[in-house]
Amino acid sequence: MDLNFSKEDLEFRDEVRAFLENEYPKHIREKMHNGEELTRDEVVEWHKCVAKKGWMGHSWPVEHGGTGWDATKVYLYLRELALEGCPTFVPFGLQMVAPVIWTFGSEEQKKKFLPRILNFDDWWCQGYSEPGSGSDLASLKCKAELDGDEYVINGQKTWTTLGQFADWIFVLVRTDDSGIKQTGITFILVDMKTPGIEVKPIITLDGDHEVNEVWFDNVRVPKENVVGEVNQGWTYAKFLLTHERSSIAGAPQMRRAINRLAKKAEKTFHGDHPLSEDPTFKAKVAQFNLDLDALEMTELRGLAAQREGNPPGAESSLLKIKGTDLQQRLSSLAVEIAGHDAMPYGGPYGFSDIEVTAPKDAQLSAPKYLNFRKVTIYGGTNEIQKNIIAKAILGL
Amino acid sequence: MKLSYSDEQNLLRDSVSKFCMSDYDFETRMRSVESEKGHNEEHWKLFAELGWLAIPFAEEHGGLDGNDVDLSLMFEEFGKAIVVEPYLANVVLGGGVLKRSDLEDKAKHIEGIIAGESQVSLANYEPEKGFNLANVDCEISSDGTVNGLKTTVLNAQNANYFVVFGKHEKDHAFALVSKDAEGLKCTSYKTYDGFVSGDVKFENCKAEAVFSVGSALNILEETILDALVCVSSEAVGAMEKCYQLTIEYTKQREQFGQPLSKFQALQHRMVDMFMETEFTKSFLLKVLATHEADEKRKLIYGLKNQVALAGKSVAEEAVQMHGGMGCTEEMSIGHYLKRMMVIVHLFGNDTYYLNKYIES
Repeated sequence: MDLNFSKEDLEFRDEVRAFLENEYPKHIREKMHNGEELTRDEVVEWHKCVAKKGWMGHSWPVEHGGTGWDATKVYLYLRELALEGCPTFVPFGLQMVAPVIWTFGSEEQKKKFLPRILNFDDWWCQGYSEPGSGSDLASLKCKAELDGDEYVINGQKTWTTLGQFADWIFVLVRTDDSGIKQTGITFILVDMKTPGIEVKPIITLDGDHEVNEVWFDNVRVPKENVVGEVNQGWTYAKFLLTHERSSIAGAPQMRRAINRLAKKAEKTFHGDHPLSEDPTFKAKVAQFNLDLDALEMTELRGLAAQREGNPPGAESSLLKIKGTDLQQRLSSLAVEIAGHDAMPYGGPYGFSDIEVTAPKDAQLSAPKYLNFRKVTIYGGTNEIQKNIIAKAILGL
Repeated sequence: MKLSYSDEQNLLRDSVSKFCMSDYDFETRMRSVESEKGHNEEHWKLFAELGWLAIPFAEEHGGLDGNDVDLSLMFEEFGKAIVVEPYLANVVLGGGVLKRSDLEDKAKHIEGIIAGESQVSLANYEPEKGFNLANVDCEISSDGTVNGLKTTVLNAQNANYFVVFGKHEKDHAFALVSKDAEGLKCTSYKTYDGFVSGDVKFENCKAEAVFSVGSALNILEETILDALVCVSSEAVGAMEKCYQLTIEYTKQREQFGQPLSKFQALQHRMVDMFMETEFTKSFLLKVLATHEADEKRKLIYGLKNQVALAGKSVAEEAVQMHGGMGCTEEMSIGHYLKRMMVIVHLFGNDTYYLNKYIES
């Protein structure tokens, strides 16, 4: 047991730092620093920049273009990216559909999709939830019927994050409703340009357009786009969800954010002393840091297990629950520090038309807090995660 | 000991409640929020006609001589419908300072508020100065010239007059400044709960009057104490609505072949929401039933702490149990959370008032 990094690890860390110093596009760095919204092109530019370096596949097997790093290197890499304030990777291709394709997909699908995902040539989105099927995902109704060599899809998906930017969507469809609900689901890949697809925005509490409804009206998809076997999609869907959950804990980003908040508290007065000297506030920050330490170590344990060949299992639910709980506490602390300055609302990215006295980070704290109500709901609500832990880990 | 409302108070509650139930559904509220003034002028006229704007003022100024219990029950009802009309800004804050002041023609200004014809905003908080009321840089000179920058001035864009708190000859005073005064610049904005607010800059502004020299800080403190009781009452009303809406939603939303309300894990959490609401309500009643000034002041600090913690927790739980839909603009529940979060931090948050409670 040793938490110290080896000389080789530290050299690797310096290599990551040098890459960010030299290659991380300055205009994106600046926008991220100011909390401004990135355009689709800028998000793509960032991913391409990492892809050019060959570092997109940090969680991928070497045979499909993965970096082959051990757990420590992956940790150091993601930590450096977070500390530098880089945009998080759009996970739907890289961390969600890719593992499903390389595990269950055909050779043609691997050849066709994986290199383009690794190079961020295609932007992917997720077609899972439906208005009547959220926590009870397996009850989904969006239907696909075979007609010749094509499936014809009809129905509606919802909560599709950044669907307005996507080139492809992976969709869970109902192909058989004769048995129990978990059987009869098929995992299919759909080109977003196919006629009959309509994307409608959903505006969230922070005023942002991040999620969408996706409607399918007689959308025809070649049957070779089915991943794995027809009617076995539920197995793949669950496999994907464990990958989704383990990628949303976000400890390094939180470390960076809490350090920034603690710094800000040194210059913030609510009463007569700086907030950083207030015992109650200090206790909140300390408690947060302790919990974050425990989360980070749990994440490291998971990474280590993954490197030893154990795929993420129900343990990822622990990370999802604790990680999202901490994300919400953090967003709450930011509003708290901002005090009255959190009140002026100029939209999800702050004011662009008028000058207000509240600093930008304070203006953004409330929208971020409101936006982050979603984290304990998406990827399977935290209540559902507890059901999974109860059943799969505790055997209840 | 008496822990019930008077007949008049029950009548007032019924009348406010009726308005909130029949004229203030969620869609109507959102139309008011999106309108130019940020509230409905017809509603404001109605408030005046019904005498609601007269409640906390003295009879000699055309008021109804009401007390904090009257204000509290109104705000509790307002909280249930998240009423956006600027009652707090005008009647409690602007009017609250005026009624306690030694301003010569205060009768005229109070009558204007009561008639719903004049709006008066209190301008006291400043950038980076926190919640300590005495902590201001704004200068009101002996000849009535005002210089300073005030932030989150509630309802700023609709105010005809600003009551500005500032330093004055080694003490504090208020200045009454017309919205049309030369050198006044108001930057209006919405706050994230849908209310209107603004930054107001005074650059060599000529005040129409300087008043309550020496007693201004006391008056400001008393006024903010009133406001704390009002927003706490509003929070209690909103909390009640939050658990009720959650019960309704979980009864109707089905997953895994049964309504969400049938899951015991969720039932217990709704019980917690209900209990937190009831205990907060009890604390509010303790404040209303306490009359000794120092004891009451301390309890109000405690109340704000309780409201901030319990109100936030109840509203967050409500959104969580509404699932993804709770996170959308389309559903009312998230708007309760927004207002609640503003109330949590308005005039100082739980930590600030916990410290005040310990110190007093």
